[in-house]
Amino acid sequence: MSALFDKTWARQAFALAVLLISWEVLGRAGLISPFYAPPPSAIALALYELFADGSIWQHLIATLSAALAGLAFGLLLGAVLGFGAAMVRPVADIIEPVMILLNAIPRVILAPLFIIWFGIGLGSKVAVSLVLVAVLIFFAVYSGIREVDARLVERVRTLGGGRMTLLREVYVPSVTAWILGNLKVAVGFAFTGAVVGEFVASSRGLGYLLSFAQSTYNAALTIALIVIIMGFVLILFGLAGRVERRLLHWRYA
Amino acid sequence: MNNMMKGNLAVAHEAFDDGRELRARAGSKNARTVVSVRDLAMRYGKAEPVIEGVSLEVREGEVVSLVGPSGSGKSTILRAISGLHAPLSGNVELGIPATEMGFLFQDDALLPWRTARDNVALGLRLRGKAVGAAREEAADWMARLGLKGLELRYPRQLSGGQRKRVALAQVLALKPRLLLMDEPFASLDAIVRHRVTQDLLDWVEREGIAVLLVTHDLEEAQALSDVVNLLSRGPRARISHRYPVEIPRPRDLIGVRGHPTFAPLLQRIWKDLSIEVEEAAD
Repeated sequence: MSALFDKTWARQAFALAVLLISWEVLGRAGLISPFYAPPPSAIALALYELFADGSIWQHLIATLSAALAGLAFGLLLGAVLGFGAAMVRPVADIIEPVMILLNAIPRVILAPLFIIWFGIGLGSKVAVSLVLVAVLIFFAVYSGIREVDARLVERVRTLGGGRMTLLREVYVPSVTAWILGNLKVAVGFAFTGAVVGEFVASSRGLGYLLSFAQSTYNAALTIALIVIIMGFVLILFGLAGRVERRLLHWRYA
Repeated sequence: MNNMMKGNLAVAHEAFDDGRELRARAGSKNARTVVSVRDLAMRYGKAEPVIEGVSLEVREGEVVSLVGPSGSGKSTILRAISGLHAPLSGNVELGIPATEMGFLFQDDALLPWRTARDNVALGLRLRGKAVGAAREEAADWMARLGLKGLELRYPRQLSGGQRKRVALAQVLALKPRLLLMDEPFASLDAIVRHRVTQDLLDWVEREGIAVLLVTHDLEEAQALSDVVNLLSRGPRARISHRYPVEIPRPRDLIGVRGHPTFAPLLQRIWKDLSIEVEEAAD
């Protein structure tokens, strides 16, 4: 037992179990109002019901599609704009102020506008997700290229490399590393964008369910949905970590 | 004059395959000039010129070093010769194609995403070799520099000394006839440094490679060089003293310190350098 407690995860699991059990006991004893904090058993039941009738799947798929599409297009757009701005000065003059502005504001305030523009379907959710991710990646790539290790550039130049060689051997690998370094944050952003978009206006998705649960004061369902979203983000985090390790094997080798 | 130069050039060409013969003529008027710097001035941005009126020559098979106070623009001279930085005035004339010049830097920045072998192969590929052939040749060079078995390691998996050897292999693989070195071994600990330096010295002497070396270390400068140039303090640094080193080759880094001329010359350079540094402190 004491050997088990040397493990960090064991202590963390123990703390979580203590929390859940006390929560449950205090709830059943009537010391915590189930209206605000329904006991873990009620949340588990809500979770079970969501999956039991299969209704959750269409919502999960809607949110996942919006988040993944936003992530993919956001990565692409951010990388292209970042690359363009870093390589061509006039492009930077135009794009940089826009990006600084977009970076300074809470970008989710664009969600209502996107719903007016793109409707309550998938498009508006992808757009919110995309703008969150693209700005993040733009700065990663833009500042990344400008701060690329000058020593590597000189090294390749003295070995006889020209512009194309520098691009292939130094800039593209550097940029890939920065993008992947930001991938986990980007996954979180992509989900935020999708869920907030659904929250504002939609007919399906986890954000839509959340909005419904909140409007009916169903705390158990609300918490169950939060748990589901956390679970999926954690799974995607894990996948992003694996992609990062695979593509940046030179860093982890 | 022109005709005479041409004649000598042809002789130098014939002799190039035989390092020993070439080395015997090193520094003599017969050896062909590999690089000639005339009245060079350099500055960064709008600042005062770092160096001004610097002239020097390196002949085939000759090792020339640059020593001087910090900030006297020693590295700047190498940057001008390599073409990394354009001169403010004056000129750099190469007696060899630019592709036959190698630059070994102070740090050992290798491409972190390439294996040691692919880092070495990079320069070969840039000279038109196919990937497979370049890798094979790179592996040969690594073996020659004592790096066998480390071909597939990434730079961060190598020690400082190993990275330095990879950087050296990267440059030597291009068979340079002029090697520019900017305090190449400064970051290494004493034992590793000694071994890498001796290996390099052997190689340079055997192949008759001309070297222009920047260093802080006066003993190292003298041990390796045929000529030591002392730069005055910057800005507007110039070459204030030039010391020929009359120690026969091949040299041994330890043995060379026992040569009767070694200590007296070291004292002279040290005294002249101290005067430069003291003036800077005033």
